[in-house]
Amino acid sequence: MDLLNPLAFLFALLAVPIILLYLLRLQRREQTVSSTLLWRQVTMEREANTLWQRLRRNLLLILQLVTLAFLIFALVRPYVNMPSAVSGRSIVLLDASASMQATDVAPSRFEAARARVRDAINSLGANDQMTLIVVDGAPRALSALTSDKSQLLDALDSARPSLDAANWSAAIALAVATGAGDEDTTTLVVSDGAHADDLGLLPGKARFIPIGNSGDNVAISALTLRRTLRGLSAFVRVTNSGSQDDRALVSLRADGALVDARALDVPAGASAEWTIGNLSPNVVAVDARIDEAQLNFLAVDDAAYAVNPVNTTRHALLLTRGNRFLEQALASLPGLRVTRAVTALLGAQNYDLYVLDNMTATLPARANALLIGAQSVFTTSGVFSNTDYVRTEPHPIARNVDWRGVSVLDARRVNAPGWLRPVIESQGGPLVLAGESTEDDLQRVVLIPFELRRSDLPLQIAFPILIANSVEWLAPAQGLNVPLNVKPGEVVPMPENTRVTLPSGEEVVSERRGFAQTNQPGIYTFDTGRAQGAFAVNFTNVSESRIAPNPNLQVGSTGTNAEQTTPLPTSQREFWHAMAAIALILLLVEWWVYQRGLPAWTRRA
Amino acid sequence: MLSEAFLQSLRTLRLNAPRRRVGSLTGERRSVKRGRSVEFADYRNYTPGDDPRRVDWNVYARLERPYIKLFEDEEDLTTHILLDDSPSMFWQPDEEADGQHLAQKWLCAAQLAVVLGYVALASGDKVVLETSSFQRFGPKRGVASAAALIAFVERVSATDKRDLRAALTGRQQPLNAWLRRYALDARPGLCILISDMLDEGGYTEGFNALGNSRLDVNLLHTLSADELDPQFTGDLRLKDVETANPQDMSLDDAVLSQYRQRLAAWSEEIATSVRRRGGRYHLTDTSLPLEQIVLKDLRREEWLI
Repeated sequence: MDLLNPLAFLFALLAVPIILLYLLRLQRREQTVSSTLLWRQVTMEREANTLWQRLRRNLLLILQLVTLAFLIFALVRPYVNMPSAVSGRSIVLLDASASMQATDVAPSRFEAARARVRDAINSLGANDQMTLIVVDGAPRALSALTSDKSQLLDALDSARPSLDAANWSAAIALAVATGAGDEDTTTLVVSDGAHADDLGLLPGKARFIPIGNSGDNVAISALTLRRTLRGLSAFVRVTNSGSQDDRALVSLRADGALVDARALDVPAGASAEWTIGNLSPNVVAVDARIDEAQLNFLAVDDAAYAVNPVNTTRHALLLTRGNRFLEQALASLPGLRVTRAVTALLGAQNYDLYVLDNMTATLPARANALLIGAQSVFTTSGVFSNTDYVRTEPHPIARNVDWRGVSVLDARRVNAPGWLRPVIESQGGPLVLAGESTEDDLQRVVLIPFELRRSDLPLQIAFPILIANSVEWLAPAQGLNVPLNVKPGEVVPMPENTRVTLPSGEEVVSERRGFAQTNQPGIYTFDTGRAQGAFAVNFTNVSESRIAPNPNLQVGSTGTNAEQTTPLPTSQREFWHAMAAIALILLLVEWWVYQRGLPAWTRRA
Repeated sequence: MLSEAFLQSLRTLRLNAPRRRVGSLTGERRSVKRGRSVEFADYRNYTPGDDPRRVDWNVYARLERPYIKLFEDEEDLTTHILLDDSPSMFWQPDEEADGQHLAQKWLCAAQLAVVLGYVALASGDKVVLETSSFQRFGPKRGVASAAALIAFVERVSATDKRDLRAALTGRQQPLNAWLRRYALDARPGLCILISDMLDEGGYTEGFNALGNSRLDVNLLHTLSADELDPQFTGDLRLKDVETANPQDMSLDDAVLSQYRQRLAAWSEEIATSVRRRGGRYHLTDTSLPLEQIVLKDLRREEWLI
């Protein structure tokens, strides 16, 4: 044991006033005796320790002095050197990727890692500092560089395993920003080592604490729904990423009702596939589950969900004086019902899509529109005829659109707002613009600023593709811009005040555009008031399903595996807290004794 | 002071003198002086002047020489009772000191003095009783003097010895001085000292003086229960009733047990000193009932037979 602050022993001088006050306070009772003869002899025998006798008599004084002793002992900050995983400045990278939810280590890899980090925090010395970085898809520091153990422990308790893969390169960047690579900084990586090859790039001193001992896992790696001539068919792929053959019992449910179940033999490192046909075309969603498997340490990838892609009909209003090409292109799109009109009967019905072909009309708010030629939504400033193709911006509506053969006679120069971006540009100006309004309404607009009749576009293969892409982007199958399948944590575009039912059955009203509570895999249904639909959140992450730990991972250039190195560095473990606590308890006892009076054995019998 | 019944029970007892001493009158005790008594002691040659009646004619007839028959001369014994009435004998613990009652310690010592005096008178001995404040009773003999003895002791008790100044300025003498003075003109005999022996000056000189005057020292060492086993604890200033010397003590169980050890050693010293001079020693706890002290303890130790 050693002391960090031995000067605090000077506080022991406080005992002097305490004793002096006590001696001053000491009032002797007078007691007449027949003779002091024998008492004097006793006193002579005890002469050497009369003061001590006096002190011994007084419990309160003893308690005060012992309290003072403990306080001083706390002030001198005693410590013992304990072996510790960390010392000096340390950065802890705590792996929170999905594979850390594996249960090959009880209760789970993440909890085991948390326990190791907790040990490291508890072994911090007085002058050691630590920062805690949790590494998932978006690594972040849970605490600043601090030596405050309680803050670090609170931060550690707030860490949760995610459903993402770990983004190690971002984590390394964050660690470097925090000081990794400095001479006195050690980076401690607590991970299963799966898919963490980036860690070789970690600068400075590094130590690796491997977690996990088995890579056995069976996962549903794919679930898709396809419409066939005979209805709907589901395709399930089960992948065994472990090192031993396994047999998995897989069940498929449609809208919660069991459709079929099958035991699949899945060889090690390979997949087994299963197709289920003849599902009802009116099914909203299906889910596949692994109900049983011998060697399956990760539960989160044992289920997959899929939403039936066509379960809504989109309504489009086409305002045109007659355009065969356009009408044909729209009519060939599945799930789209087109109403042709000359004037828009606003308020009569809300359409998912308004197509204005060289017409002017006042569109309702939040209307998704395909504007072709002259229109009344945006003002124009002249015409340009230099329409030689320059480039195509990457945009969903330009996918597979080959504009190089398209000729346009002239086009209007549109005073477009900032959110309307050119997609296909010519030398004179943009020929196709698209964008999403950034104002309070979720509105998408595709603008083609020339009349179709003044170009050969309708005769080109690009035309139906452009129209199909535009319709799909402006009015997706969901009736909105909601994708069918999203990853956990992904933000789903949604209008405000959409009522969303989570897989747990809980109903949430999204207050903002976009819905972000997608951490739970499963089927989400929503109701915007205008349209209903569903989307699936799937944890299908082939790499995270490969949970084989890598205990021999090379971490950094000077990295060492903490399990294999001896001796461990030492850190100063302080225990002044216990001393202070004892002093406080003694102070309470002293107060209690004072209130209660001295115990009987100190009073006259 | 003593009940009639108790006094009656004492009539049958006699003081046991361990050694024979010469008395002045013929009494009931054997003396070392041979004389006219019934018990034969020895023969010696007749010398002119001897009483012819004491010649043993049977021996003369056999040996044709006159021999005088000697008998053990039986005589009375002077019993000296020395009663310590120093203030320490009147001391009592605070809670009992109400000024109304005599201290139990003094009462016990005074009663013992009366009992021993009564027994001595009843067995025909001469009795002298003197207190350390030089008040003397006797010499008297015969049971008729018993009432006077009791009256004397009661008079001594009535003098307030607890008044410290009176004690310091009065005729109170240290134990040694008192015993030396007493030994000067005391006739040889049985001497019983009743005292708590709590005297700064000790006791050796006094004992020596008594021994030189052919007085057997028998000590009834009277100590109260509070002296034998003090019950007070805490931070105290102890005041001596005789010298008024203060003594600061912090008393706890350890100190008290040390005191008890010290007291035992001290009483053992005194006992040894008394026994070396051929006397008896008895440590009396004055809180015990008088009947127990007299009829049980003193008889068992053969003070009374």
